[in-house]
Amino acid sequence: MNYIQFLVQNSLGDLKRNKVRTFLTSLGILIGVLSVVLLIAFGLGLRNYIKNQFDSIGTNLLYVLPARVLGEEGGFQDPGAVTYRFDEKDVTRVERLSGAALVVPTIERASIIQAEGESKSSTVLASSEDIDDILNLEAEFGVFYTRSDLTKKAKKAVLGTDLAKALFKSPERAVGKTVRISNQAFKVVGVLKKKGGGAFGGPNFDTITFVPYTSSSTLNPEKKFINLYVQADSEDVVPELKRDIEKLMIKRYEEDEFQVIEQTELLNVITSIFSIINTVLIGIGSISLVVGGVGIMNIMYASVTERTKEVGIRRAIGATKRDILLQFLTEAVLLSLFGGLLGLIIAYAIVFAIQSLFPAEINAFAVAIALGVSSLIGIFFGVFPARRAANLSPIEAIRYE
Amino acid sequence: MIELQDIIKDYKVGDDTAHILRNVSLSIKEKEFIGILGTSGSGKSTLMHIIGLLDNPTSGTITINGRDVSRLSDSELSILRNEYVGFVFQSFNLINKLTVLENIMLPAVYARKKLSYDPQKKALELLTRFGIFERKDFLPNKISGGQQQRVAIARALVMNPDLILADEPTGNLDSRTGDEILKLLEELNHDLGVTVVIVTHEKDVAKRTKRQIFIKDGEVVKKY
Repeated sequence: MNYIQFLVQNSLGDLKRNKVRTFLTSLGILIGVLSVVLLIAFGLGLRNYIKNQFDSIGTNLLYVLPARVLGEEGGFQDPGAVTYRFDEKDVTRVERLSGAALVVPTIERASIIQAEGESKSSTVLASSEDIDDILNLEAEFGVFYTRSDLTKKAKKAVLGTDLAKALFKSPERAVGKTVRISNQAFKVVGVLKKKGGGAFGGPNFDTITFVPYTSSSTLNPEKKFINLYVQADSEDVVPELKRDIEKLMIKRYEEDEFQVIEQTELLNVITSIFSIINTVLIGIGSISLVVGGVGIMNIMYASVTERTKEVGIRRAIGATKRDILLQFLTEAVLLSLFGGLLGLIIAYAIVFAIQSLFPAEINAFAVAIALGVSSLIGIFFGVFPARRAANLSPIEAIRYE
Repeated sequence: MIELQDIIKDYKVGDDTAHILRNVSLSIKEKEFIGILGTSGSGKSTLMHIIGLLDNPTSGTITINGRDVSRLSDSELSILRNEYVGFVFQSFNLINKLTVLENIMLPAVYARKKLSYDPQKKALELLTRFGIFERKDFLPNKISGGQQQRVAIARALVMNPDLILADEPTGNLDSRTGDEILKLLEELNHDLGVTVVIVTHEKDVAKRTKRQIFIKDGEVVKKY
């Protein structure tokens, strides 16, 4: 039997003899590891969810915004006054740049949509006809408006599926019906496929209303746009296209009057904000790990006192201080690891149970954290009691009753 | 084999110093069977601790096989205890949560040197020799006192020590069982040539040994 095996078997024996105590002591670590692993899992799930949302739109997308929204250090900054400043000239100029596949100007208004006695508030996004391509949107029923609708200033609308359902009971019934947007009648030509989204400041495509930007002068009295969506030919030309658009815009606007943002930049900013929140939460969760560690330390001190005579006997027959230290340290680490493992298993069970509601995910990092941190806590909080045991005088220990 | 030269052991008790051993010199030769006799408080236990390397003297030197061991570090002393001395205590001092066999094997687990024999085989041989082989998987508190003391002696022997140091080995046993234990120690000394030192306050026990050393008030008063 080798030495490590001896230490582990010895400690396991002691832990088994005091089952209730072992369980109660490791409970603190269990709860700590459970909360930290769950927080990591939720953070990871959230990040993947955001990433999927962005990926579904496409990574070769650029936004031209009417103010500086992203700060130098990467976070969002106060954009100041946002005005509708881009016009059709900007659109044509950007369209002419090499690498630009599609340019879609947009106008956004919050409006009340009415139909069949129902009325709902919705974001009305007035745009050119290519908006569905750029945002990877598809009409489930009916069609999207077309180039000719745009030139004819047709009063046509495409509704998000939830909005259509709210107004017309079922999405498919909406096509062909009329809705009133700001008291003007629009014909519903299409209803979008369910897409989700809407979290984190982006538009919710399930409650949105799309109309051609030419369709209403009340929506767009000055014929100016708030954003330009630019689709690049491929992901590779995105940086170059970004620089070209910036060069173009700086000729007409001040530096703080526009900003060109890549989809990935936006993703990074949002991800980093969530990472910070997640880290803070994990930090708070870690407090219970420390409390658990103190619990272990407490029980280990009691255990040292209880086993003073045993320590004396072991010392008399040749155990060194180090042997005794390792014996108690092993026990503390096993105690802590036991709690950590249980916490991890319960975390797995919870993540599995809520998988359909929330896409939480336990990765290798979370597992490593759970097991690594619980071993470290065992060592850290076990070393003080273990040292007390190791430093017992053999003679006094062996006389202890 | 073991030489004690001018051993002094003082304990500080508050502001006073208690002189437990005052200038003890003695030598124990290989294969001897010795009794150290003294009343309670005479210092015999402290002397035993010093011979058994459980305690350091305040001054004086101890040599074992020519090696000065009076100023060794704690871990060096631990290793020497492991290799050179086997303790037998009045209250057996077995670890009650370990089986008989595990108790006997325990010194071998702490051994720093590679043993030239299989300690498990040795332990089983000793159990057979002492007539308690069938008790090998029992816990110590499930066997009789005499059997427990046999287990303790087997544990003391498993490392093939130079010296068996028995502190009142019959103190917790009835006279018949005590007698059996003493016989066993005699046999070990006679048959295996193990050096045995018995520390006791009982003259009858000390008489069984071949040479007695009397301790009184921390001094050797009589040697035979």
